[in-house]
Amino acid sequence: MRLSSNPISASLPIPDSRPRLAALASIRWGLLAVVVALSAIGLATVHSASAESPIDYLYRQAIWVAVGWAAMVVVFGFSYHTLLSWSLPLYLASLAALALVLVLGYEAGGSQGWFRIGSVGVQPSEFAKLVTALYLTRYLGGLSQRELQPRQIATALAIAAVPMVLIALEPDLGGAAMFVPMLAGMLLVAGVRLRLLVTALVAALALGALIWSFGMQPYQRQRVATFLQPAEDPLGAGYQVRQSKIAVGSGELTGKGYLQGTQSQLRFLPARHTDFIFAVLAEEWGFVGVVVVLGLYGIYLVNAGAIAARARDRQGILLVVGLTSVFAFHVLYNSAMVIGLVPITGIPLPFLSYGGSFTLVNYLAVGLLLGVDFRRYVNR
Amino acid sequence: MRVGEHREVLAARVQLLSRLATVTLAMIAGAFWYVQVLQGSHFRQLAENNRLRKLAVEAPRGTVYDRHGRVLVEDLPSYNLTLDRSRGRSVPDSLRFAAGILERPVEELERVVERYRGVAPFQPVLLAEGLTLPEAARFRVAELEHPEFEIQVTHRRLYRLGSHAAHVLGYLGEVRAEEIARPQSPYRSGDQIGRRGVERAYDRRLRGQAGEQVVVVDSRGRPVEQLGRAVGRPGEPLRLTLDATLQQEAERLLEGQVGAVVALDPRDGAVRALVSAPAYDPNLFARRLAVEDWQRLVSDPFHPLQNRALQSAYSPGSVFKVVVAAAGLAEGVVTTADGVYCNGSAQHYGRRFHCWRAGGHGWVDLERALEVSCDVYFYALGQKLGIERLAEYSRRFELGRPTGIDLEGEKTGLVPDPEWSRRVRRHPWYPGETISVAIGQGALLTTPLQVATMMAAIANGGRLVTPHLVAGAELAAPRRLDLPPGVLEPIRRGLWRVVNGGGTGATARVPGLEVAGKTGTVQVIAHEAYQDTSQLRREHRNHAWFASYAPAAAPQLVVVVFLEHGGQGSRAAAPVAKALYETFFQPDLGVAPNT
Repeated sequence: MRLSSNPISASLPIPDSRPRLAALASIRWGLLAVVVALSAIGLATVHSASAESPIDYLYRQAIWVAVGWAAMVVVFGFSYHTLLSWSLPLYLASLAALALVLVLGYEAGGSQGWFRIGSVGVQPSEFAKLVTALYLTRYLGGLSQRELQPRQIATALAIAAVPMVLIALEPDLGGAAMFVPMLAGMLLVAGVRLRLLVTALVAALALGALIWSFGMQPYQRQRVATFLQPAEDPLGAGYQVRQSKIAVGSGELTGKGYLQGTQSQLRFLPARHTDFIFAVLAEEWGFVGVVVVLGLYGIYLVNAGAIAARARDRQGILLVVGLTSVFAFHVLYNSAMVIGLVPITGIPLPFLSYGGSFTLVNYLAVGLLLGVDFRRYVNR
Repeated sequence: MRVGEHREVLAARVQLLSRLATVTLAMIAGAFWYVQVLQGSHFRQLAENNRLRKLAVEAPRGTVYDRHGRVLVEDLPSYNLTLDRSRGRSVPDSLRFAAGILERPVEELERVVERYRGVAPFQPVLLAEGLTLPEAARFRVAELEHPEFEIQVTHRRLYRLGSHAAHVLGYLGEVRAEEIARPQSPYRSGDQIGRRGVERAYDRRLRGQAGEQVVVVDSRGRPVEQLGRAVGRPGEPLRLTLDATLQQEAERLLEGQVGAVVALDPRDGAVRALVSAPAYDPNLFARRLAVEDWQRLVSDPFHPLQNRALQSAYSPGSVFKVVVAAAGLAEGVVTTADGVYCNGSAQHYGRRFHCWRAGGHGWVDLERALEVSCDVYFYALGQKLGIERLAEYSRRFELGRPTGIDLEGEKTGLVPDPEWSRRVRRHPWYPGETISVAIGQGALLTTPLQVATMMAAIANGGRLVTPHLVAGAELAAPRRLDLPPGVLEPIRRGLWRVVNGGGTGATARVPGLEVAGKTGTVQVIAHEAYQDTSQLRREHRNHAWFASYAPAAAPQLVVVVFLEHGGQGSRAAAPVAKALYETFFQPDLGVAPNT
């Protein structure tokens, strides 16, 4: 399918595994368009959320978005099979980074999860999610039965559990929790009996009880308690839920207008540019804005589902499922959190919340998704 | 590695996950519909409550002047210190800093902060009130290092005369919950309202109307923008009829004594001085009153909070003889020519009644009887009139009912008669009691203020005026006594002789001014008809009265002096009146007095 009439492509030695110009037509533009739209909305909302703060996070976030787009293009250029072949060293490197951050990292928001490189904070747990998804794909993708054996399930659990425990030690429960939807999605698709999933659910509940008793910091227990009874503590953690609900609700149908949200501009809303950024959007753009953004996320998910459904091989399917499960969980949990449906946890909203590593990883995931889709045909 | 034969199975599982995510997303969108559209207006209200604060802009209370425009009470700026605990580095540091400036122990400030324990830290703590200007300035200067402190400027009431005129001016107190709850109550929580005196009677005029400021605040309660402002109305100034110089002189004369002075203009009832001793300092109430101060005031055996000029009723004693004389002449029971021989005592209803002068006064007619205050003459006149007519004329002089002065809590006094005896005492009227009432003793009780209006009616030719501190349309019009012509003149001549003849009031004589008056000395013990023993408890000395007016020909001032257990009216009370006339008419004694 080489276009020999094109002088540039004719003169450049483009390997067969690289996308060709004519193949641009088979890139999933719809997904890309959604990401462009979400990036723009994200930057605008970060600006609004921090306009009244000492630092306007718009510029920093813009740099991360630019880096994200570049990284997305780069990762798109690699065949995911190549990446999967590197996944074990990547996985081990990320475990090392997670261990190292417990010693050398600096603390922010109650957990020690960042490396500081110059003025830039890097959060290894975000990259660990991506890498773990790759490594799990490599392991589960290599199996070919219809149903997984218990030993195989245990291996998959172990692969996910190591980084999860390291992240929980920071302690960052939100970050650790992200491995659960990833593992669940991939295991379900790879083939697990329903009975086993139920058992896993029971085990997870038991584990949750153990974590509550021994593994939680007081502020975390406080958050869960507050979720269960918000009126008990209106000025503490309950304050955040309450202010967030007021922000969202007072946006009503069409919102108060960009930069006009009183809850965010007068700083009633906590963590406005990060975990509660969706409340800022909901206040200023109203239900209409909420529907637009949730609709974009919906299109993203439908696209990802379609990519998975027609992927070339088992690895392609599992990789898309793993990455998209995490993505979906972020979207669903965060949007439910800002209206008080679930306890407050540091689970940001993809493409909207401020955060360098998180933003970068989301673009990398899109690059991987597009790559899987692009390579659905045997000859690419 | 290829998908192989499982491809459809895997695709189906992906489909399942995809549907699960999409349905959850739709449910969350539904939840947003509920919060934003169905409950939107509720949350909008909450957001408005968050950001909008209504701040009352305190209206200064009106200034109170005396009749010559001298300031008696005014609002001065007062500085309050508030602490925003969320702004400082540490509360103990802040308190140590504040304690240094205020020169108060840190523990005291700690106790204040302790009371705000359950309150959100950005809600300011009212740490101290009534700072001096230098203190306030030192907090302002330290604003950069201590941004947690804020100086609020409010108003504080200053009573310029201290304890003088305390009972007239009154004081302020914080409004009570039930007063706010009343329909159409203009008060809001934390308001100071007049509790006594003029402050209470003219509260609505003095208080003005607080303005209101609507500001947008941020999450720390700091105003960031002003939205609207309802301009308040400062309190109206109030000019009293009071003469501050006369008032202060009267206060000084009563220092260390227990009693009352009422001075008023008999022509219209304008009160020139109204003293009750002992008094209190209303400035004590201008700050939050300390518990010890309040305890001291209410447990004082001399009840300084009580306004004896109108809230205490006493036997009028011989001062009442003017009423008896007026009744006798008006009823035609006596003429000015009729005489009675006083040999020191007389027999009435089988009992011997003594004149105050053991040796007797010899032959006395009405004018002479007033001049020397002959009891025997009035025993006889009282018996002729009878209790019903004595009571009726007492009521004509408006004894036994409030004068209608514009101050709160006025006592009615008591005009006894047989009907009252049956109804209240549940025993019949004894004829001997009539004889006691005829010389102003017995169950008869009057307030010094009632005696003043009674005397004013004699002085002004028979009009009962309403005593007042503020001239205004809401005052009751003067009432006519309705006495036949020629009744008051002999009485006024008698009263002139009391002071200027050889009478009991010679101690009130003022060179260059014709004073007329009547002394009274009330026995507190050993009077058989005197049943009410509540008056006996402190001491057994007599009460001293002097009720007077001047100048005799065209009276401009009535002065009533009452001294509880002060002794004889002539010795104790009349000299006080003399000093007051001298003060009042000082600028032009001998010339036509001020008009």
